Amino acid sequence: MTIDASPDSASLATAAPKAGSARRFAVHAVMVVLSFLSIFPIYWMIVTSLRPENEIFSTSLWPSNPSIENYVFVLTRIPMIGMLVNTTIVSAATALLQVVTGLFAAYALVRWRMRLSGVIHGLIALSWLVPFQVTMIPNYVLASRLGLLDTLTGLIVPNAAHAFAILLLYNAMRSFPTEILEAACIDGARSWKILWQIVVPNMGAPIASLSIIAFISAWNEYFWPLLLSRKPENSVVQIGLQMFMTQEGNLWGPLMAAAALASLPILIIYLVLQRHVIESFMKSGIR
Amino acid sequence: MTDIQADLARPLTLARAPATARQRGTFTVQPWLYLAPALCLLMMWTYVPLVEAFQLSFYQWNMLPTAPQRYVGLTNYQRLFALPEMRAALWNTLFYIVGLFPMSVIIPLFVAIWTQDLEGRARTIYRGLIFVPMIVAPVVAAILWRWLLNEDQGLITLGLETVGLGRIGFLTDPKYALATLTWITGWKLIGFSTLLFSAANAGINSSYIEAARIDGASRWGIIRDIRLPLLSPTILLLSMMTILFGAQWSFAYINVLTNGGPLKSTTNIFYLLWEYGFQTMSAGWSSAAGMIAFAGFAVIAAGCMWLTKRFAVYDN
Repeated sequence: MTIDASPDSASLATAAPKAGSARRFAVHAVMVVLSFLSIFPIYWMIVTSLRPENEIFSTSLWPSNPSIENYVFVLTRIPMIGMLVNTTIVSAATALLQVVTGLFAAYALVRWRMRLSGVIHGLIALSWLVPFQVTMIPNYVLASRLGLLDTLTGLIVPNAAHAFAILLLYNAMRSFPTEILEAACIDGARSWKILWQIVVPNMGAPIASLSIIAFISAWNEYFWPLLLSRKPENSVVQIGLQMFMTQEGNLWGPLMAAAALASLPILIIYLVLQRHVIESFMKSGIR
Repeated sequence: MTDIQADLARPLTLARAPATARQRGTFTVQPWLYLAPALCLLMMWTYVPLVEAFQLSFYQWNMLPTAPQRYVGLTNYQRLFALPEMRAALWNTLFYIVGLFPMSVIIPLFVAIWTQDLEGRARTIYRGLIFVPMIVAPVVAAILWRWLLNEDQGLITLGLETVGLGRIGFLTDPKYALATLTWITGWKLIGFSTLLFSAANAGINSSYIEAARIDGASRWGIIRDIRLPLLSPTILLLSMMTILFGAQWSFAYINVLTNGGPLKSTTNIFYLLWEYGFQTMSAGWSSAAGMIAFAGFAVIAAGCMWLTKRFAVYDN
């Protein structure tokens, strides 16, 4: 075997560097194209937002005299700061509530064996498959009956529990060593205490993942705010952006500045927590 | 990846939770208290509305709280099936889904296999860059592409003109608008899918590959007989996601960029629901169309889960 293989590997060794470097070049070429495709539109948004009005249609890769006039225009024309604050509140509250409701539900399913737990698990998972557009009319009617139209509460409450959050935490909790839970039970600890003192402190990673995903998804959410919002100052930044586009759609500089402001918080989170963000999304897939 | 997604694929078989405190036969209140917030919210905002939408699909109602709801039986459904709009929307839905496949499954799969031996710094940098579209808000993505593709001075329009292809109305020509929106929807997914496939590919036990190589398998043979089968759970999962959610993902782009036009060429089933519901104010039609969509996608979902069970190869 070794004797047979040796002439083969020798010829491979001489051929390898050449084929290898050509291949490596092709590999990099593919990734460079894909990266360029992914990032260029965002780069172009930032460049355009920094161009003064008389340069807006220029195709240079960097504005010759960058200015922030577009940003000033946006901030004076629409209540951008207010909307950013609203969006932050809505996203943070949604993420927090999804973590809490998810923890409770997952804990109930993991800790107790109930005759109905299979049914409940199915109900939770299947709710993911109901398209929001199918239930939108009854949801809208309910929200208006509860006086939630044009409020931030109305944007938060319907998203306070999500199948995805429950299942993510359920799966994480299932791998929690049962001996510890049992030992705590024997010690007579209350389930509430076990949850907060034993389970939650060991669930840091999944809770962080869920918070990141829930926050970003809530930040980017568009459809429900579209139904609920009336006035821009009571709304979130996605709606403000859409309204601005409808009114001033061809003021490209200010429009790009508005889009940049709306994505800035998410991009900053991404820059700081890059590895965590990617891993959270990868581990839990598309939402 | 994917405990969660495997879960979605097998929601009903997962009842075998390891219970710590077995309390068979006796009813305990505590778990229900913990379940209450989540279950109440899901009931209130998903399941009860689903039933209400089903009821509404047999009524005629213009969404005004004061207006009466009139029972019309199956008329809404009959009308819908007779409407050419509905048929066109269903075809467009299919187009969105099929058009997404190259970007959400096929290209990422081959890019991931092709670039599998990238390592170190370069890999980290590419990873960081190609993931970005995933977290960009749909409204922002719509605006970015509207600017790049705009018919007067968009960078891509100018570029095509320089090359001599002339101006293309990416969003205003019925011939191209649907493809443009599909592209924008796919733009957000292509990098992310690539990362998912890369991770799954890197997880393949290298001893299989070694063994095949020693047996004299060709590069393509290894891909076909080892990599693709072992990647099948990810392939099936992303395909399922594309089929089930692809048309929903494109909603924001339709609403922001084309409003379903030009000439209804970009209206898919979910946009049609929205138009009936909140523009023509016919709750009955919208609900009936919603029920058709829901039933259709439920059947497809069941089919996908069956396929996953049947064909996915797991490396135990």
